[in-house]
Amino acid sequence: MTTFLIILVVVLIVVMPTHGLAAQLRRYRLTLTRERTENALKHLLRQATEGHAASFASLQGVLRVSDRQLMALTQHLERDGLVRSEGALFQLTPDGERVALHVLRAHRLWELYLADELGVPIDRVHEQAERAEHSLSKAQLDRLSASMGHPELDPHGDPIPTADGQVPTSPGTPLGAWPPSVPGRIVHLEDEPPLAYAQLSAEGLRLGQIVRVIDRSPTRVVLSDGENEYRLAPMVAANVHVAAVEAQPAPAAWPADVIPLSGLVTGESAEVVALDPAFRGFARRRLLDLGFTPGARIRSDLATFAGDPRAYRLRGTTIALRREQSDRVLVRRLA
Amino acid sequence: MSEAAVTAGEIVREAAALRRSLEAGFREEVVTSLYGEVERITRRAVHDAGSHPLELDQRIDRIVTSRLLGLPLMLGILAVVFWLTIVGANVPSQMLAAGFFWFEDVAAGWFTQLGAPWWLTGFLWHGVYRGLAWVVSVMLPPMAIFFPLFTILEDLGYLPRVAFNLDYLFKRAGAHGKQALSMAMGFGCNAAGVIATRVIDSPRERLVAILTNNFVPCNGRFPTLIMLATVFVAASFSPAVASLVAAGSVVGIVLVGVLFTLVVSWALSRTVLRGEASAFTLELPPYRRPAMARILYTSLIDRTLFVLWRAILTAAPAGAVIWLLANISPGGVSLATRTASFLDPLGWAMGLDGVILLAYIIAIPANEIVVPTMLMVYMSQGMMTDLQSMDALRSLLVDQHGWTVLTAVNLMLFSLLHNPCATTIITIYKETLSVRWTTIGAVLPLALGFIVTILTAAFARGFLGF
Repeated sequence: MTTFLIILVVVLIVVMPTHGLAAQLRRYRLTLTRERTENALKHLLRQATEGHAASFASLQGVLRVSDRQLMALTQHLERDGLVRSEGALFQLTPDGERVALHVLRAHRLWELYLADELGVPIDRVHEQAERAEHSLSKAQLDRLSASMGHPELDPHGDPIPTADGQVPTSPGTPLGAWPPSVPGRIVHLEDEPPLAYAQLSAEGLRLGQIVRVIDRSPTRVVLSDGENEYRLAPMVAANVHVAAVEAQPAPAAWPADVIPLSGLVTGESAEVVALDPAFRGFARRRLLDLGFTPGARIRSDLATFAGDPRAYRLRGTTIALRREQSDRVLVRRLA
Repeated sequence: MSEAAVTAGEIVREAAALRRSLEAGFREEVVTSLYGEVERITRRAVHDAGSHPLELDQRIDRIVTSRLLGLPLMLGILAVVFWLTIVGANVPSQMLAAGFFWFEDVAAGWFTQLGAPWWLTGFLWHGVYRGLAWVVSVMLPPMAIFFPLFTILEDLGYLPRVAFNLDYLFKRAGAHGKQALSMAMGFGCNAAGVIATRVIDSPRERLVAILTNNFVPCNGRFPTLIMLATVFVAASFSPAVASLVAAGSVVGIVLVGVLFTLVVSWALSRTVLRGEASAFTLELPPYRRPAMARILYTSLIDRTLFVLWRAILTAAPAGAVIWLLANISPGGVSLATRTASFLDPLGWAMGLDGVILLAYIIAIPANEIVVPTMLMVYMSQGMMTDLQSMDALRSLLVDQHGWTVLTAVNLMLFSLLHNPCATTIITIYKETLSVRWTTIGAVLPLALGFIVTILTAAFARGFLGF
């Protein structure tokens, strides 16, 4: 009797639906297969946009699996009609492209969500999106996209595919093909491979910056933004894309009487001029919703023992801001 | 007709093309025009009747957030709230206890008369019922005083000012100023404090607030702190000021807890929860006259009874365990005594003893039964007990069981730094839906408690001659 009970419990632990060991193992393997499949399709899409075909070797370099596993995977992909093989080369079928675009859309939307809405440091969004991209459904992506106002670019400047599978053309030219001494605005910092991107962000390059190539040799590319110089390996420089600077660049400097809100002394009144254009996402919308709109009258009202945060009187309410936010609100003093 | 027909697809394409030409700042224009419209309507429809309560509000704000007075005023209000809770809860607690325990004797008497076996009577009435009675009589009166007082402060609009005053410290720790609000809630109940972290938008800062909420002592732990403050600190003062001194000591412990909150938040923000401090916008609403009826309702029904009910659910089984441990005596020595002597070496290293550790293990479901469990084992009695007079308590602890100031200090520290109660742990899981963060939330304070008490004990023994 006891033996029977023990056997029953063991069998239950193994085969119980949903929570049993067997079910968990099956789920784990399904997830793993799904991630590999999707990563393979992503790789094929990337190669296709860059005009190359993907080979067995290039796939292996990305997926890091054994020959046998990769063989099984490609056969699987072909059988499902996602991939076509021509000799040693692989190409996406229209179905395969749809799946790959979905994953790409998930990756870029999630990166934007992390960076803009959650304030995750930009050099860490790629890694997190790499995991999240496999578990988001189309309906979830549609909601996410709508909640952010159907954005077109991810935080690195990469175009986000639309719901019907269109990829807006990527603006910009790689630095390697940009004429020397002509100013260009950085429109895209490629986040693959992560190591190269880490170097770019460590150098301090960011979207929107205006740079010129001042020296180019086989071993390095030197950029200048008029203030700092950036030395990059040519491999890394190829990951920076620039576009022509528009005829009227964003107002380079505000008039001298426009100061950050944090510059007001307690009791002083001012008129809001603008929010710093570089200030984006959730935090910016929050300030707008609270009524920090151009033309609004504001008074610096309270300061704590440390002088930060401060509270401001705006539209009949008192609102406390940390220095990081009040630095981003530009105002003009009122007499 | 046909030439004018426009298909939906064309509209979408046209919109997509026009969208590119939108200025980056079009959102601002939308919001600005909305606000402009609102202002226009307000000017037409709202008339200023000439009363200016706003100016009074701003005068109060200048005082409660001022550089010099802001923080002392906050501590003063905190001390008054604790003092009222300590003084006010004393008598009702004793009355409730007397009533409950009288009924226990009566009911046990009935059972015996009906011929129930001694172990059934003991288990049900001296175990389960007594555990419940303890929790209710120790917890209900302080909560029924503390929660309404707290709700009054909340309703007045004072709490956002506290968050405003303290935000700088939290910012330096990589956390959010609204964490001050969830901490204030934690004084009532850590589980409620964990739920209150929902006001924090950033998930990272919210996790910091959840994981550190346990560093503010909750109502269930105040009896321990108050007992120690009364027996070891206030005992040497005249009775007139004793309750003030006790309240002061409790405020001191609370400050230590706040210090730990800040230090641990800082450490978390630089390790497992790395990230920058997020945006902080906090509205300081106008002061309002508290709506007393609503305060009584929300604080008594929503908070007090809710928390009490969850405590009761966990205290009943704990009462049963205590009774079993004290009454199952293989070889003539009760399980409680055996476990306590097993835990003694670890207890000694922490400046405590095995009995105290045993009490904390049994009290995982509800912290309020720590003191009664301790006293029960010390007195080798079969059920949880209370000593009516503080002198009797002092002589039991100091003369018979070798308590020193080190024991008292470390017990206060350990009371502040140990695993959250079962209710709070469950709440952490419900709020984070993550086994990992729940485990960290439970183990981190406990590990800190071990480290801090062992270091304190080693220091006291090595340098102060304890």
